[in-house]
Amino acid sequence: MPEKVRGSFRDPSGFMFKYGGKLYRQINQKYREEYDLLMQSGLYDQLNKSRTLVSHKEAGLDLAPRPEIAYKVIQPEIVDFISYPYEWCFNQLKDAAILTLAIARRALEFGMSLKDASAYNIQFHRGKPIFIDTLSFEKYEEGAPWTAYRQFCQHFLAPLALMAKKDIRLAQLMRLYIDGIPLDLASSLLPASTRLHIGLATHIHLHAKSQQRYADKEVSQNEVKARVSKTAMIGLLDSLLSTVKGLNVQTIQTEWADYYQDNNYTEASFEAKRQLVRTFIEKVQPSQVWDLGGNTGEFSRAASELGIPTVCFDIDPGAVQQNYELVKKNKERFMLPLCMDLTNPSPDLGWHNAERESMQARGPADLVMALALIHHLAISNNVPLGDAADYFADLGEHLIIEFVPKTDSQVKRLLASRVDIFPDYTIEGFKEAFGRRYSIIEEVKVDSSERTLFLLQKKDH
Amino acid sequence: MDFYSINGLIHSATQSYLDPGSGSMLVQILLAALLGAGVGIKIFWKNIKAFFTGKKAGEVSTEDPTEVVEDDPTAVPTDSPSPKE
Repeated sequence: MPEKVRGSFRDPSGFMFKYGGKLYRQINQKYREEYDLLMQSGLYDQLNKSRTLVSHKEAGLDLAPRPEIAYKVIQPEIVDFISYPYEWCFNQLKDAAILTLAIARRALEFGMSLKDASAYNIQFHRGKPIFIDTLSFEKYEEGAPWTAYRQFCQHFLAPLALMAKKDIRLAQLMRLYIDGIPLDLASSLLPASTRLHIGLATHIHLHAKSQQRYADKEVSQNEVKARVSKTAMIGLLDSLLSTVKGLNVQTIQTEWADYYQDNNYTEASFEAKRQLVRTFIEKVQPSQVWDLGGNTGEFSRAASELGIPTVCFDIDPGAVQQNYELVKKNKERFMLPLCMDLTNPSPDLGWHNAERESMQARGPADLVMALALIHHLAISNNVPLGDAADYFADLGEHLIIEFVPKTDSQVKRLLASRVDIFPDYTIEGFKEAFGRRYSIIEEVKVDSSERTLFLLQKKDH
Repeated sequence: MDFYSINGLIHSATQSYLDPGSGSMLVQILLAALLGAGVGIKIFWKNIKAFFTGKKAGEVSTEDPTEVVEDDPTAVPTDSPSPKE
């Protein structure tokens, strides 16, 4: 039985479904003209060749779950890991915004326009942002305004402005408002100085005022006689582009981004650890790796460099941004850096709690890595070791985990300001707690350090 | 005076499923008119410059991610099945 993808319901042009473990998209009769134009105008080829739109192949119409309204069934290229804007660092959101505008502008050249500008239509695939909604294009009508203007401002411009001009942590507002940050809220949170910034003064502040003024009001014919010419549309897109490009976060105040310069490892033990991690990965031969608390991806690269799609999660947006810049610089194709607070990971969100999946629902991964992490969960966040084992076991089949004992200076630091209420936080306690869920495949002390690296496999199998 | 819904007026030509919002639409029309004039002037100057320097006035910036880059290894459409498939 085909199974409809639950988050795919808004656009009447079609919907996604799964069948036999594969992902398909039904295109409805309603979208026939537009789809044919996309394919025949050369726009699809242009975007596909520049790797900015997912490729697809046409599949049999007999697969259509709703044949009475179906025009085509297509099978899109699969993205390794679906991520969401509230999990991206600043530069990821910025690159996604730039791509959205570039596609909107390119579409005009081919007589089409981008009918929506949802940040959720962008994914990071093989190291680069890519547009994933093949049905987002419509025939361009000379004079018609850009339908997605408001959506673009809410999904991209408002969060970027808030992150750049107010506080990087306001990225989390995107998790609360999944159709983008309301512009009146953005306008009231932004510092007064942004009213002198031409792009933000118009696209956010004036825009918010205009929304407020015309909310639920009918508008007289005279007021809307004007049309948006193609040149005017290009002007609008270019203005949004230069506003986005002008927003930057210089130095993100990072707690962890210089971790590797200030930790317990000597050069030699660091290399020994990397070698061990690599050996464990080669032993498991995973098809996907999740590195939890992976910082700038130092150890995630042991996997991604082998061509294994690897997601490197970290709580610190500064570390994630450094990692993303490395991915771009070195044109890495298998590393995806994402922001994630493991003590409060992304939940199921949206309509029916099913539009955006929780972190866990997007797994399980073949291999989970938790290096230099357990002491933060167990001591800073009071998670009992057994509970940590249960959580990791839900995320993946194998686990590479580093035990950091109380004698380690990092743990001493965590305990310096609080009472030690963790009598079970010992290597014996660790093995006992994790032994309930996992079998120990390897246990190796890292050379010239106090730490031990384990390779574990879930017992349920 | 007759009043119409802005969506009905502006949007009769398209079949959008998004609500563009009246306030957003009006501010866009205003901004686009001003910014469009800017584009017109820019193109005009580029053409004048092009006339004297002999260089073509390209409209799309070289930083455009939708530009096809021939030597980009990632620019080859891949049909490679994902590990999950």
